[in-house]
Amino acid sequence: MALVHRFLNGAYIFRHCPKPSASCPFLGTRFADYCSSSLQKPVAAPGKTSSQRNSEGDLQGHHQREVALDITSPEEKPEVSFDKAIKDEIKDHFRRLKDDLVNHWIGPEGRPLHEVLLEQAKVVWQFRGKEDLDKWIVTSDKTIGGRSEVFLKMGKNNQSALLYGTLSSEAPKDGESGRSGYCAMVARSPRGPFERKRAYDWSQFNTLYLRVRGDGRPWMVNIREDTDIIQRKNQMYSYFMFTRGGPYWQEVKIPFSKFFFSNQGRIRDAQYQLLLDKISSIGFTLADKVDGPFFLEIDFIGVFTDPAHTEEFAYENSPELNPRLFK
Amino acid sequence: MRQLRLREVKALSRSHAASWPLGRNSNPRRSDSPRKSRILTASLRAAVPLQAPRGLHCSAAAHNSDSWLVPPWPEPRKGPTKALTLHEELFQQTLEGARDKANFVRAVQNFGQHNVHKRGHVDFIYLALRKMREYGVERDLAVYNLLLDIFPKEVFRPRSIFQSMFIHYPRQQECGIAVLEQMESHGVMPNKETEFLLIQIFGRKSYPMLKYVRMKLWFSRFKNINPFPVPRDLPQDPVDLAKLGLRHMEPNLSATVTIYQMPSSRDSTGTADPTEPHIVGIQTPDQQAALAHHNPARPIFVEGPFSLWLRDKCVYYHILRADLLPPEEREVEEIPEEWNLHYPMQLDLEYGRSGWDDYEFDIHKVEEGPVFAICMAGAHDQATLAKWIQGLQETNPALAQIPVVFRLAGSTGELLASSSGLEEPPPPEGQEEEEDSQQRQQQGQS
Repeated sequence: MALVHRFLNGAYIFRHCPKPSASCPFLGTRFADYCSSSLQKPVAAPGKTSSQRNSEGDLQGHHQREVALDITSPEEKPEVSFDKAIKDEIKDHFRRLKDDLVNHWIGPEGRPLHEVLLEQAKVVWQFRGKEDLDKWIVTSDKTIGGRSEVFLKMGKNNQSALLYGTLSSEAPKDGESGRSGYCAMVARSPRGPFERKRAYDWSQFNTLYLRVRGDGRPWMVNIREDTDIIQRKNQMYSYFMFTRGGPYWQEVKIPFSKFFFSNQGRIRDAQYQLLLDKISSIGFTLADKVDGPFFLEIDFIGVFTDPAHTEEFAYENSPELNPRLFK
Repeated sequence: MRQLRLREVKALSRSHAASWPLGRNSNPRRSDSPRKSRILTASLRAAVPLQAPRGLHCSAAAHNSDSWLVPPWPEPRKGPTKALTLHEELFQQTLEGARDKANFVRAVQNFGQHNVHKRGHVDFIYLALRKMREYGVERDLAVYNLLLDIFPKEVFRPRSIFQSMFIHYPRQQECGIAVLEQMESHGVMPNKETEFLLIQIFGRKSYPMLKYVRMKLWFSRFKNINPFPVPRDLPQDPVDLAKLGLRHMEPNLSATVTIYQMPSSRDSTGTADPTEPHIVGIQTPDQQAALAHHNPARPIFVEGPFSLWLRDKCVYYHILRADLLPPEEREVEEIPEEWNLHYPMQLDLEYGRSGWDDYEFDIHKVEEGPVFAICMAGAHDQATLAKWIQGLQETNPALAQIPVVFRLAGSTGELLASSSGLEEPPPPEGQEEEEDSQQRQQQGQS
């Protein structure tokens, strides 16, 4: 995946999210006080190779060895052949292009139209194998100098994904951060042949469904839209996911009308609803200011239509905060 | 209270006298007052050049002070080199008293008493915000209102359109926002008094007031969105905390919580005796029935400890579960039709009108073996859990015939494999597992 890796690293915008510090206090309520909006260096991209290596290790050795450094152990050097990798890559892209053209005749995304129109529940991300983990990027505040650690690996029996780590709200000593302590898991945007940007179209669904098992900590679910406008690259829609803890699987249903709009990590005064026709990625963030270990086990993530849910948008704009909207 | 050395007082009064011509001294009363602290605080106003190098080394809050207008006096500093921030002496006085709300309030009021013009109030407010956590008042709204009260009123309100266009008194507005922000991060909702204070100090169109409006709006919107609320004041008693945690985890309301063992020596030392930790368990009637029907040929496992977070406290629990039965052994209980002649006990109606009425996900959900009971104990070793099993046997007599295997692993919070065994050693009898499980626990629960 050499070509893809190089392309991806060049295509991502490494945007340094401005810290909510004394230098810019006037941008509004510091509601979501963390940098989950910026896709910075992907911490666990080499983590997938290390997790394959360590699946036979003992339980304790796991957590020390799955550090996000690109160290290959000497006995398991994979075959690196640059030309072969590039050739494979090109073949793969052409195959995807062919599939894309052929699927266009069958129906949207290769499924017949009646199936797509009548579908009410769709599984978007599932965790049944290691290749499913590759679709996610895991970040923590290590990228800004903090001390939280986060890892992603397959759960038991390869039936779920386990996101675990330690949160530390010790602020990095860089002179401008007042607070810190967040961990995030973000999905990669869907790509077509030749890494063309694609988006999810969930316009016929109205609720997000997650089957998770947590440890009682509150998480935040963020949805990003697919857009070409640069000003909108750091904007996302978020809502909270409260885990119960305990040995039972928990089904979390969040209607899309509940997601509030935030820009660069701060909630905006002018709210409008999430439009579902071009969704790029979804992410989970933990930043609850409590130091300690955490874990979240995810079974699958899907979207469905809840026929009983008729609300369009949960937050109305207030004339005090936005007099211009009410003229 | 730290007694001032004579040379320190002399140095301070010397610099105090030296800054006379600058016209910055507004406190005529100096050495007349009997309390040394008054000398210190009064002369600190003018002795800012003395404090400035100290401030640079110890805290970052001195940067924003408006007393930087005084040019630094190049006098060498004598006296004990204690790195204290400006005004920190006010909080030092209460060292002999307990760090509680009354002392905090007294320290804050001491600032205003001998300092009519409230010089350095911005610094003082930042310092007080930092000290709030030590004094345990970070969630007290009255204290935040008191801090906002330190600001001089009506001075920072913009009076002309040009003043309101530019950020009028930016440092003070930042300070006001910092107070509100600390309130927000601790989840304290401001009240009418806060609003009145903010209007009096900054005016209605200021940024602190805007933040206050936003806080009121979003706090009230998100106040009750937690479907599993945990009370803010968690019980300190470990048994009560365990009961709360177990009830939090178990969705079935008909479950019964049983205390199998209370911590001993509660009255003598106040801490739980390590040999007799508390054991609290929970079990629902469905789980009891399932355990009674469990095949004695299959072992059941005690797994744990797993972590559960209640606000900011982490408690650990263990579960008693069995492996999933392979599909051929699963039996579906059939209720014969004659059981109830009034209405059918089982209905298999197709509710879907057509293809679009299928709301099920096209995925095989993760299935795991049934959980029979959950418990929270003070210690995580096999002896304590064995006591739990013995206590469970009283209500579940079938447990006596079923072999119990203890699978105690490190506390990473992952629920263990049922059958794959990739990362688990093959489950031996309880004895052999105990040694390496205890080692792993000691490594894992550091």
